[in-house]
Amino acid sequence: MYPQSPFPRIVQVAVICTATMFAVWLRASPGRSERRQVTQHEVIPLLLLRCAGCHGRQHQDGGLDLRSKASMLKGGKSGPALVPGEPEKSLILKRILSEDMPPRRRLIEATVKPMQAGEIELLSAWIEAGAPEVEAASEWAELESPINDEDRQYWAFQPPGLFPVPQVQHADRVRNPIDAFILVKLEEKGSTLSPEANRRTLIRRAAFDLTGLPPELEDVDAFLSDSRPEAYERMINTLLSSRRYGERWGGYWLDRAGYADTEGEREQDILRPHAYRYRDYVIRAFNADKPYDRFLLEQLAGDELADYENADEITPEIYDNLVATGFLRMVPDPTWFNVTGFVPNRLDVVADVIDVLGSAVMGLTVKCARCHEHMFDPISQRDYYSLAAIFKGAYDEHDWLKPNSLNPLENNTGRYSYRYLSHVPAEELEEWTARDSKLAAEIAAVKEALDDQVALLKQKIFEDRLTELPEVLRSDVRGAVETEANERNEIQQYLSEKFEKTLFPTDEQLRESDEDFKQAAEETDRRIESLGKKRRPKPMVRALWDRGEPSPTYLLRRGNYLTPGHLVGPETLSVLTSGEPIEFKPPWPGAKQTGRRLALAKWLVQADHPLTARVMANTLWKHHFRHGIVKSLDNFGRIGTLPTHPELLDWMAREFIRRDWSVKAMHRLIMNSSTYRQMSTVTPAHERLDPENDLLSRFPLKRMEAEVLWDTLLLISGQLDETPFGAADGVNVRPDGLVTAVGTESGWRRSIYVEHNRKQNMTILESFDLPRPTPNCLERKLSTVAPQALHLLNNQTIHELATSFAERVIREVGDHPAKQIDQGYQIALGRLPTPEEKQLVMESLDKLKQQWAEDETASGVKALADVCHVLINAAEFMYID
Amino acid sequence: MSDQPRRSMTRRSFFDSLSGSIYGTALAYLLGEDLLAGEPSHRRRVYDLKPRQAHQEPKARSIIHLFMNGGPSQMDLFDPKEELTKRHGEPYFDKIAGEVEFINSAGALMKSPYKFQRHGESGIWVSEVMPHLAKQVDDIAVIRSMHTTTFAHEHALYKIQSGHMMSAYPSLGSWSTYGLGSENQNLPAYVVLDDPKGLPTNGVENWQAGFLPPVYQGTRFRSEGSPILDLEAGVEKPPRVVDLQRDLLARLDDIHRSGRPGQPILDARISNYELAARMQLAASAALDLSQESAETLEMYGINDKKTESYGRRCLIARRLVESGVRFVQLYISSQIWDSHGQLATSLRDACDFTDKPVAALLKDLKQRGLFDSTLLVWGGEFGRLPIAQTSEDTPNPTRDGRDHNKNAMVTWFAGAGVKGGTLYGATDELGFAAVEDKVSVHDWHATILHLLGLDHDRLVFERLGLKEKLTSVFDAHVIDGILV
Repeated sequence: MYPQSPFPRIVQVAVICTATMFAVWLRASPGRSERRQVTQHEVIPLLLLRCAGCHGRQHQDGGLDLRSKASMLKGGKSGPALVPGEPEKSLILKRILSEDMPPRRRLIEATVKPMQAGEIELLSAWIEAGAPEVEAASEWAELESPINDEDRQYWAFQPPGLFPVPQVQHADRVRNPIDAFILVKLEEKGSTLSPEANRRTLIRRAAFDLTGLPPELEDVDAFLSDSRPEAYERMINTLLSSRRYGERWGGYWLDRAGYADTEGEREQDILRPHAYRYRDYVIRAFNADKPYDRFLLEQLAGDELADYENADEITPEIYDNLVATGFLRMVPDPTWFNVTGFVPNRLDVVADVIDVLGSAVMGLTVKCARCHEHMFDPISQRDYYSLAAIFKGAYDEHDWLKPNSLNPLENNTGRYSYRYLSHVPAEELEEWTARDSKLAAEIAAVKEALDDQVALLKQKIFEDRLTELPEVLRSDVRGAVETEANERNEIQQYLSEKFEKTLFPTDEQLRESDEDFKQAAEETDRRIESLGKKRRPKPMVRALWDRGEPSPTYLLRRGNYLTPGHLVGPETLSVLTSGEPIEFKPPWPGAKQTGRRLALAKWLVQADHPLTARVMANTLWKHHFRHGIVKSLDNFGRIGTLPTHPELLDWMAREFIRRDWSVKAMHRLIMNSSTYRQMSTVTPAHERLDPENDLLSRFPLKRMEAEVLWDTLLLISGQLDETPFGAADGVNVRPDGLVTAVGTESGWRRSIYVEHNRKQNMTILESFDLPRPTPNCLERKLSTVAPQALHLLNNQTIHELATSFAERVIREVGDHPAKQIDQGYQIALGRLPTPEEKQLVMESLDKLKQQWAEDETASGVKALADVCHVLINAAEFMYID
Repeated sequence: MSDQPRRSMTRRSFFDSLSGSIYGTALAYLLGEDLLAGEPSHRRRVYDLKPRQAHQEPKARSIIHLFMNGGPSQMDLFDPKEELTKRHGEPYFDKIAGEVEFINSAGALMKSPYKFQRHGESGIWVSEVMPHLAKQVDDIAVIRSMHTTTFAHEHALYKIQSGHMMSAYPSLGSWSTYGLGSENQNLPAYVVLDDPKGLPTNGVENWQAGFLPPVYQGTRFRSEGSPILDLEAGVEKPPRVVDLQRDLLARLDDIHRSGRPGQPILDARISNYELAARMQLAASAALDLSQESAETLEMYGINDKKTESYGRRCLIARRLVESGVRFVQLYISSQIWDSHGQLATSLRDACDFTDKPVAALLKDLKQRGLFDSTLLVWGGEFGRLPIAQTSEDTPNPTRDGRDHNKNAMVTWFAGAGVKGGTLYGATDELGFAAVEDKVSVHDWHATILHLLGLDHDRLVFERLGLKEKLTSVFDAHVIDGILV
C-alpha cells in the first residue's frame, strides 16, 4: 500500500543501465534470491531504515535502541523488544503489527516510513528462527571482488611510468623536458613549435592564466624594459606571488569541489552562512603553495589529522584541518527539510560526495557503480559501497547530521544535530562575542525605549477608558488588573478576564490610535531591523567529522535502499589496490574516530598511486592549454579520451611528486617551456598537420571565463575592490530577472567573493557559462549565444563601467585624444593601437563628439566612453592570444 | 584606404555587410566551441537551432505547455467523486499516512465544494469553476490517471520537467529543441513566458538544459516591457551614436580577425553580434499586440483585470507559435493551484485567472488553422489528496484545503494529433490514486515527443559513454488512447 516516497535518485543513476547490465548485476549479487536462513544482516538494515529515527544512535525514545540484537534483548522501558523464537511475544513485532510503530503522526518529524508487508514477514521469520546471528567477518568475505589483475593492466590503473626525455631535431627549442615530449610528436608529423610570441602577448597571456586579470601597466613596462637574463622567469614569479593567484586557481578548485553558499534542491535555497571559510581556506592554500598531498589530506580527513577535541587551543593548523573538510560538505543537500530528509535523500547526498571525490581527485566515474557494476571500468558495486563505508563514520544515513537550519542565527537544539563545530580561533570568537553582544544590547535598548513609551501610553488609555465604566466598578477593576495574574482571587480573575482586553489597547491599536507613536514605533522597527542585519551568525565551522560509531554498510542492490544486499566493509577501489589491503584504524591511540578517511587519503597520496598526481597534473595543463593531455578531465577510464601525450603526462605526474607536490613549481615548469611561449597564429601548415591543435603546434586562443570577464571589466574601469575573504557579498535579483552583485563602498569585489547560490547567479556570469554545481564541474562548456552580445552591448552596468573606464583614461592622460586612445588600448588590450586602428578610432571619436555636442546634456566624457565601450566589446578583448 | 572618407553605416547595413561576408560560415561554429571536448564519439559536430529532421512525420510543429504549477486538484476540476461526498468527514489518514506531507493537519475525507456537469458531445465532466473550458471540452483529451513519484514541490517539478527527481537534468523543452531545432532562427527556440510578478518555484531550473548544450535552455520572454534582458540599450543614446559604435566595432574586429585566420571561435563570436541584432527586431515584433483586433483582445480577457496577465501570455504564445517558435511554456508566479486552504475560494480564483484565456487560446488556434500543427498541454506537477488539510475534526472546504498527492493528477492534451473529447484513465473511488490506464510522467513525456515526431527511445545524447534519454531507463509508453 505504501509506495515509498520520496525516493529521489535510486533509479536516476540507473540511466546508465541497459538490459545486459542487469544480467551482470544478477551474477554479481548472489545470495538473497535462494531463500536461506534469515540472519541479522537482513533484519538490521530494515530496523535501521524504519526505526533508527527514534531508536538509533541519536535518540533512544523509550530507552530503546534497535540497532543490534543485544540492544533489542535489553529492550527499553516496556521491557525487551525481542523474544527469540517467539514472534507473537516480541514487543517489536506487536507494536509494528498494531500500527503503533512507527507512530503515524510522527513519520515526517522522525523522517521514517512504515514497514512494508514483506519486511514484517522477514522480521517475523528471523525472530521465529531464534534471531540467529552470523559473524560479520565471514559474511563480508563471502562477496569476492570481481576485479582481477587483467583489469589492472589499463594504463590509468598502472603507476605513472618512467620515460626518458626524447631526443628531438629542434633541440634549440627545448627549454625543459616538456618541450621535448611535445616536439617529438610534432616532428613525427613534419611540424614543429611556432615561434615565440612577443613580450606583450606573453605577459598578457601569463597574467590572465595566473591571476585571472590583465597585467598592471607598470608590470608590462617593467617586463618590456627588462633586458637582464631571465626577465620572463622573473615576470612569472611576480605573478605567482600575487595574491590574485589564489583567487584565480582557488576558483578552479572550488569548481571541482562544487563550492556553493547555499544548499539547493529546494525552493528556499537556504544560505550556508559558514561555507565561505572553506573558500578562503582554498585561496590561502593556493597562495601559500600548500603541497597538494597535504591539501588532499586536510580536505578528506582533516578531522582525523589532529585531536581537535582535546587541543588546548585552536591553532591555525587545527582550524585549517577542520575547515578543509568543507570539501566533503559542498554538494546540493535538501535534507535540512524534513520532507526531503529521508534515507534515500541522504543516500543521494552521499552519492554526490562520492562523485565529487571520484571525478575531482581520482578522475573516475565511481558513481556509476552505485546501482550496478560499472559498465566500462573495473569498478564493482562492492567497490562503491566499500567507499561509502569509508565515509560512514561521518556520513551515516541512519545517524544524520542536518546540513543547516532555516535560521542560522539561532542555536539549534531541536531533534536534530547539525554539521557545525565551534572550533574557531579564540580571537575570532572574542571579536564576534564583543560585536554581537554590543549589537544585542543596542537592540535591547531600542526596544526598551519603545516599551517604556508603550507602558506610558497604555496606562493613559487605561485611565481614560476606566472612566467610561460605571463608577461602582472602577476601583475593583483597577484592583483586579493591577494584581499579579497568579495572585488574583476569583472575582478579580473574572473582572480582569472581562475587562483587560477592552481597557488595554494592543500594540496594533496603539499604532492606529496615535500617529506620533506609530511613527516612533515604525522608526524603532526599522532600527531593530537594520541592527539585526548587522548581526552575524556565531562563528562556526561547517565541517565533516567522524563520530566513531558507523552503522554497518550494506550493498544496495540496484542502488535501491529497499533492497539491501551483502554487508561490506571499508576498502579502497580494488582495481587500484593490489597486494596488502589498507589498514583502517583509529588515527591515534584512544581516538574515537574510525580513521577510515585518513587511511583513504593516505592511500590516495602514495607516490605510486596511479591517478592522484596524473589527474592534478592534467588539470594544471588544461587550464594553461585549454585542453588536458587527457581531454576528459573527469574520466581517465576506458571511455575517457586517451592521453595525447602519455609519456609527458607520466613525466609531469612524477615530476609533481618529485617537487613535493608543489603546484607553483608545476606552473613554472609549464610556463617556462617553449611550448607555452609560442605564438597563437594558425598557419596553413598547422591546419594541414595539426588541425585540432592536439599536438600543440601553436598556443591555443582562449576566451575569458565568466569571472575573468567581470573581474577584468571592474579592474580596467577602476571599480575593483580587492578586499579579500569573509562572508560572501549577496546578489540582487531585479524583477525583470537581472541578477547583479551587491557592491561595496569602493565598487565590487572579485566574483569569487560573490555569493555562489544554486538558483540565481549574476546574469553576466551565467551568460558567459558559469556552471551550476550539480554536484561539481571539472570542465566548463563554453557557448557563444546572443544574450552575451546583448549584455555587453546594452546592459546598463556595462555602460557605466565603460564611462568609469573613460574617466580613468582622462584622469591618467588628460584631454589629448591621441593619448586617450593609446591609453585605452593599453588598458583594455595591453598594447598600443596600430596606425590604422588609431586613425579609425580617432575619426570615430571625432564623429561621436559631434553627435554628443548636438546633445545639450553631453559632457566631454561621453564620446570617449562610447569608444571604451567598443573596446570592451571587441573580440580581441575577450579572446586571449 | 584610410584617406578615403568612410561611408557611414546604418545599423542595418552593418549587419547586412556581415551576413554577406565570410562571417556567414562562422555561424556554423556558433556553439560548437569546446562542446565536443571529451565526447569524441558524439555524432553531432555543431549544436545549433537549425530545423532538424524528426524521427517520424510530426503531428505537431509547435507545442504550448500551459504549466499549472502548484498541483491542480483533480477531484475538484475534472474527476468528480460521489463516494467522497458520501463519506465526507470519515477519518482516512491512517490508511495513507506515508503519503501525507503535513501530518499534523491531516483531516478526514472532504467532498468537493464545486458542482460538476457533463459538457459537449463527449459528456466530459467539468467543474463549475471552468465555464469557458467546459464549452471547448470536445477539443481536449482529459487524462485522469496520471501519477508521479514525490509529493514535494521541488522534486515533483524536477520530475515533470526532466523525468528525474533532481536538478541538473535537461527539461522537456530542451530535449524537444535539441531534437528538432527551430523554424525561426531569429527567435529563441524554447521560449518561457514567465509571470511578470515573479518566477515559479524552482525558478530558472524549470527550463534548464542540464547536460545538453546551453543553446537548448529556455529563454525567458517577458510579456511586459522588453521581452529579453538587455534587448534594448540600458542607456539612452542617439541612434547615430549607436551606429557609429557598431561601425567602429565591426572595423576593429575585422582588422583583428584578418590577422588571425583559422580561428573559428573568433568568427563565431563576431557573427553572434549579428544574431543578437536580428533577435532585437524579431522579439519586439512578437510582443507587439497592437496588430491584434479588439475582438481578439477581448476574447483573451486582456481588457479584464482578472484575466489580463494570463490572457496576454496566452496571446503572445499564439504569436510565437505563428512565427515558428518550437516550444512555448507558460508559468504562473505564485502557486495558485496549491490549494492548502480555502479550497472553495482559492481554486475558483485560480480558474478565474486562467480559464477564459486558455479557452480563448484553444478557439484562436482553431480559427487560425493552427490547431492542426500545434500541441497544447495543460497540467501541473502532482495532484491533491481526498482528505482535508485541517486541524479540525470536521472538514470544511470554505476553510480547509487539500495537501499534495503524488498518486493521482490530471492533465489534458489538445490540438495536433490529439483525439478531442477523450476521457482517459480512472482513479479509485476516492480519487486518491490512479488505478486504470495509469499514465506515468515518462509516458506523458514519450507522448509529447511522439506528437512532435520524436521517438523517446531514439532521442539520445551521449555523455560519459551513456546514451542519455528524456525517459532514461524508465518504462515509457506513448498514450495511444488519446491520439487520433
